[in-house]
Amino acid sequence: MRNISKGRRVAIYIGLILWMLINLFPVYWMFTFSLKSNAEIFGDNVVGLPKQWLWSNYTSALNTGRMGKYFLNSTIVAVATILITLAVALMATFALTRLIWRQRKTLNKFFMLGLTIPIHASIVPIYVTLSRLHMLNTYWALIIPYAAFSLSMAILVCTGFMNELPRELDESACIDGCGVWGIFFRIIVPLMKPAVATVGIYTFLQCWNELMFANIFISKTELKTLPVGVQALSGQYTTAWGPIGAALVLATFPTLFIYIFLSKKIQDSFIAGAIKG
Amino acid sequence: MKKILALILALCLVLSLCACAKQSGSGNKDGKKTLTMWCIATESDANRPAYEKAAEEFKANHPDVDFQWEAFENESYKTKIKAAMSDPESLPDIFFTWAGAFLGDFVAAGNVYCLDEAYKGFSKELPEVMLQNASYGGKHYGVPLTMNIVTLFANMDLLAEAGWDHVPETYEDLTACCDALVAKGIIPFGCAGKETWCVTEYLEPIIEKTIGYESLNKIFAGEASWNDPDIATAVSTFQDMINKGYFDPAGAGLGNDEVKANFINGQYAFYQNGSWNCGEVNDAAGNFQVALFPVMNADKATYSQVIGGPSDTLAVAATASDPAFAATAAFELGRTICHYGYLAGSGLPAWTPDYDTSEVKKLVSDVAKIVAESDGMVLFGDTAMSGDPANTYLDYVSRVYGCEIDGKAFVDGLKKDIG
Amino acid sequence: MKRLYSNKFYILVFLLPALLLFCGVLIAPIITSLYYSFFNWNGIGAKAFIGLANYKELFTSNSIGFLRALRNSLLLAALSVFLQLPLALALALTLGKKIKGERTFLSVYFMPVLISTVVIGQLWLKIYNPDYGVLNVLLRSIGLEKWTKVWLGTKETALGAVFVPTLWQYVGYHMLLLYAGVKSVPPELREAAMLDGATDGQINRFVVLPYIKPIIRISVIFAITGSLKSFDLIYVLTNGGPLHSTEVPSTLMINMLFLRNRYGMGSTIAVMLIILCFGFALLINAIFKEED
Repeated sequence: MRNISKGRRVAIYIGLILWMLINLFPVYWMFTFSLKSNAEIFGDNVVGLPKQWLWSNYTSALNTGRMGKYFLNSTIVAVATILITLAVALMATFALTRLIWRQRKTLNKFFMLGLTIPIHASIVPIYVTLSRLHMLNTYWALIIPYAAFSLSMAILVCTGFMNELPRELDESACIDGCGVWGIFFRIIVPLMKPAVATVGIYTFLQCWNELMFANIFISKTELKTLPVGVQALSGQYTTAWGPIGAALVLATFPTLFIYIFLSKKIQDSFIAGAIKG
Repeated sequence: MKKILALILALCLVLSLCACAKQSGSGNKDGKKTLTMWCIATESDANRPAYEKAAEEFKANHPDVDFQWEAFENESYKTKIKAAMSDPESLPDIFFTWAGAFLGDFVAAGNVYCLDEAYKGFSKELPEVMLQNASYGGKHYGVPLTMNIVTLFANMDLLAEAGWDHVPETYEDLTACCDALVAKGIIPFGCAGKETWCVTEYLEPIIEKTIGYESLNKIFAGEASWNDPDIATAVSTFQDMINKGYFDPAGAGLGNDEVKANFINGQYAFYQNGSWNCGEVNDAAGNFQVALFPVMNADKATYSQVIGGPSDTLAVAATASDPAFAATAAFELGRTICHYGYLAGSGLPAWTPDYDTSEVKKLVSDVAKIVAESDGMVLFGDTAMSGDPANTYLDYVSRVYGCEIDGKAFVDGLKKDIG
Repeated sequence: MKRLYSNKFYILVFLLPALLLFCGVLIAPIITSLYYSFFNWNGIGAKAFIGLANYKELFTSNSIGFLRALRNSLLLAALSVFLQLPLALALALTLGKKIKGERTFLSVYFMPVLISTVVIGQLWLKIYNPDYGVLNVLLRSIGLEKWTKVWLGTKETALGAVFVPTLWQYVGYHMLLLYAGVKSVPPELREAAMLDGATDGQINRFVVLPYIKPIIRISVIFAITGSLKSFDLIYVLTNGGPLHSTEVPSTLMINMLFLRNRYGMGSTIAVMLIILCFGFALLINAIFKEED
């Protein structure tokens, strides 16, 4: 920054702050209207802080909307999906980068095919399969497809990363008497931490957002996920924006808080993961 | 390369075999019979209390049955039920459906249980004519709940501001009334452009009142062509109304719930939609009346011709664990839902009331009177036609509302795409 | 070591879970879709083999409007590459220069990525609401009454109104990817360029950009395939309306599968989407290789 004129520096900051406000405003607005009555939202106090803080909006979102339950479901699905994706992807990547066999490049390309397949293209065949396996209306009905659709990306990231690990590590472990499992679990997996974060975030985004599978594969209220819940609730309160706002906040803020606490860690490993990937 | 290909193919084969190996689920848990139902009565639905009461009564009458029901939001339910049809094993025992072609497709695929046997026990309370929209090849497949017609709701306070003390009954009067309203700065109509079925609630009565109910019935049934110059005229009349500013321009971007709320809050003088809104409008503050859209062509149509009929239906899956019992249950549930739905004003009874109806809301009994005096009835177009033509038709309707095509292009296009 | 790593048993064990998951959930359904795309089928009744008729109809029928949907998603892809990515790149380059508050900016810019798409959709529905939405209220309050619009209900504005949140949501994602690349540029390279008297812009152009090209390539592929596959936000905001002006292949596909009961045609769209995504991925790879 030293050879930049003061004027330009100010301009850069103005630009950065402007973009920051654009990103913060929707979140701010969502939070304030979640605490307002219709009279305020529809009246002249559209963007200001609420005059009366209506926490009752949150009670309705939690009770009628069951947002707490949906949040829990989404979390269970997301965590399980991330764990499965990671386990499967790490194993596959190990075989694709370390183990020695012909055609491993071909198979790698085959896995990359998955990056191009839109998740909605296979909705009915997957539905029929899940139904025949009696897995509809279970968390598995979402976890398995989500994990499968995150797999390609996970392998892509892990491959780049694992290729960077020096082969000497394996060899010295081998000389020390480690078997394949030993090398994988004791040497390779612990060194893949940064890739884990990158894959984790990507997988999280996939399953946290998905609406169509969640709507069709789950028919029990106790198992519904956040996107379905938010969508249903907004259909129920078309005219009372307060409770919808409260539901949106409940669906959003926990993740944001976790993110703020962990942001440095997440960013660092994301950065490390992205470079290798 | 070959080895990998072989491995992958083998895997796919094994997986599809796994998928095809049917396992039979048991309907019995701890000796209790399980009965499942899907419907669209979510918490916001006007019918919700009726379903809750029906479920309660059913559980009280059948303590040995574990009755479970789930409600889904309307639009996502359509997706859900069609996905479920691709593997009938995943269907619940009883499911909500719309009569007409929607249920017809499922019946044709053999996924629906025939109700003729079970109906014998209920024929006294449920007139056979009410089952006709859910009958295919002379057999009954659906239990009607409530029936509904397209109703013109009017805010009499706003009409009074424009100098009208009654709902106009001729088209000339209606135009005069709308002009007076516009002059007063009141928007005459609200129509939700985001949901095309709301546009048909306006367009279909206009077409019916131009060409008569018999002709329209034939067209919806595919027995007559859309290519009718009178339909083109009707469409042009509708567009004239739009161009004269009779419709709220903001409606194009709104959903039905938002438009309805606007009407109830006194933003529009008229709102034309299903009679299931009677209860809600009746309970709102203000002076509201119900009526029908005026006649456009007196040579072919009369004022008392209506659009509507029994459409909300319960059907029984052919794969139900005990279909005969589920069929009886569907009738019992349908009867109670109809009973409380009528009392709550969310529809007119398809079942003959055998209870005290003095509590029925005023607007509901007014509509019931209109139905009793009706000269002819045409089922909603998107219900009468099957999926593909129905959606083509809805496409054209939305283009009419957006004034993208005129009446001539409407009939020409539909003739080309549907017949 | 070599013998240990060549053991067929281990190779199979390590690959099996991934292959099972991948073939069972992705490949098998795609093969089924490909098969159904040759049939006229409503999804539940009898099937009729019609060869390539679905494909032909897809590209010729005006009432299906596949080409319009395709054009919309290609437009989105283009905007994504030429608007979203440059913005993300500019932010990444600026933040990569050790600016004060770097971390705060980074965190805030990434926030929209973490908000569920359905939530973003619902939020923007409220922002665009013709009567009470922030956008129109704002325009009215600064005296631009005549600029207020029924943003999502008018054919002319709906597409733009849908694209804005779609593009906005993922700026942060691409920014973080590119920022990671910028940070990985060895400081020696920068310093050497600076000693040679290069300006900031020159350093970016001749040192940083070539260095992070692989990441740009990944970003471009994600942006384009993501645009072609986009669904959730459009589904929540307009579901393809008004008058199909915001239709994209995915919404069209769901429409065919579940509303029009045209299962064969829906499968055809699915197959076309995959071919397109795959084709673009190859194309982008080829372009980047060419440049090397």
